[in-house]
Amino acid sequence: MFNGIYAVLYRELSIYRKRAIKQILSSSLSPLLFLIAFGWGFGSGVTVGGLPYISFLIPGLITMNSLNQSFAISAEINISRFYFHTFDEYLIAPVSHAGIVVGEALFGVFRGLLAAVIIFIYALIFKVTLFFNPIFLIAIVLHTFIFSLLAVTTSMIVKDHSGQALVNNFVITPMIFLCGTFYPIDKLPYAFKLLVYVFPLTYSTKVIRAALTGGEVNILYVGLMAFYCIMFFLTSLWALRSVEA
Amino acid sequence: MNDNNVLTVAGLRKKYKDKAAVNGVSFAFSTGEFVGLLGPNGAGKTTTIKMLTGLIRPSAGTIHYYGSDFRQQSQTSKALIGVVPQQNNLDRDLTAYENLYLHAILYGIPNGVRTQRIDELLDFSGLADYRNRQVKQFSGGTMRRLVILRALLHEPKILFLDEPTVGLDPQIRRVIWDFIVKINRVKNTTILLTTHYIEEAERLCKRVLVINDGSIITDGDPETLKDGIGRFVLEIHKDDSIEEEFFDTRDEALAALHNSTYTCKVRGVTLEDVFLRLTGRRINV
Repeated sequence: MFNGIYAVLYRELSIYRKRAIKQILSSSLSPLLFLIAFGWGFGSGVTVGGLPYISFLIPGLITMNSLNQSFAISAEINISRFYFHTFDEYLIAPVSHAGIVVGEALFGVFRGLLAAVIIFIYALIFKVTLFFNPIFLIAIVLHTFIFSLLAVTTSMIVKDHSGQALVNNFVITPMIFLCGTFYPIDKLPYAFKLLVYVFPLTYSTKVIRAALTGGEVNILYVGLMAFYCIMFFLTSLWALRSVEA
Repeated sequence: MNDNNVLTVAGLRKKYKDKAAVNGVSFAFSTGEFVGLLGPNGAGKTTTIKMLTGLIRPSAGTIHYYGSDFRQQSQTSKALIGVVPQQNNLDRDLTAYENLYLHAILYGIPNGVRTQRIDELLDFSGLADYRNRQVKQFSGGTMRRLVILRALLHEPKILFLDEPTVGLDPQIRRVIWDFIVKINRVKNTTILLTTHYIEEAERLCKRVLVINDGSIITDGDPETLKDGIGRFVLEIHKDDSIEEEFFDTRDEALAALHNSTYTCKVRGVTLEDVFLRLTGRRINV
């Protein structure tokens, strides 16, 4: 299993190194726009649950940006499967499927964590005080693992590029807008609340926001995040096996 | 089952919905053999290779490498196989060295010898100058050589080459041929090469399996297969078709020519004629 993890990471990081500046720049822009539009433009003077809106927004942007970056590996695996066929190299090699899945997921975690760091830098610039603590670290790692593993599963199931776009539009975008990244979900109508509690992003946003703003962390939610992690690891393995049909 | 065989395949099948892409093929290779799988496009060559290398699961049949079941011992077996796929699936953003290094990790080549092994092979294939250049700058022929070289890095016992010279110009094709022959001779690597080029099969392969519509229709060395239908062909160029008659000697062919009022041509038999004789159609239309 170790060879597979190491090989996948070697490849992904070798390529990442050559594109790092481009990728970091492109993952820096949209959260900055959100901060300017909602933090300064719309949210100044607004408070949510006793917090200035910008303090409420920053943890949401951390989950959003890291989700986007972790899930972005999906499109890249897709390209390597369908266009350059480099993914076949893993499949014919004497390495386990678990190794391939964990290697790709770790790369997704790496990208997600970098995306979180960018928001921390913004928090410094916008002078937002955050509480940095171990429970946050556990939560952000679980959070990025969940969406990296979801990305691996997706990239193995879809048959082409348009399938990938479908998942982005019908799963990822709604999740980002519904799961409490920009506003508290208790204001949503009941039907939406039901839907929102199926999405893992709801739990990671709640845990990460509570941890960073000094609120109370619901341990049950951390457990649920771990559950989603395990579930998506299993779906990744299953999806990878089905590629060899 | 003979455990000395590098590869033993029995009753291998792959069915897609209602059509069988590969319809029960069986063969065995011993060490150092140079075998060609010859057939038209769509005959099932690539599907066969994909099953033999673990990219797709067979619908039925067994695959054994040195007597051990591929499905049960897939990781041990995969370490014995080198694969050159039809498309150059190199990482274009990586250098030649990085591509090879990735392969070395995947195949568990120990850290201490990875770089040394890579440099030896780059020398063996004459690609040393390309070591630190990005693959996206390479020509088609250079990429092809690098893909073959990569498949050799873990010193496989058997090398699968799927249409290794498709899309290359004739001069580069010869370079690739020489390289493959050198691998077979110097390293004694067993080779299975798929092709729809008659010339490629005749020049390189010591043994040819002819495949058509998912079934192997004949198996033997090219000379014997050609002897089986006669050594010479008399081509009779009729108005709307070319008819072919087969003879054991040139004189017999010339004798038959006397009665003909059409344009005629006498030439040596090729594997194309063997295929035509067995299937009633040509390999390359």
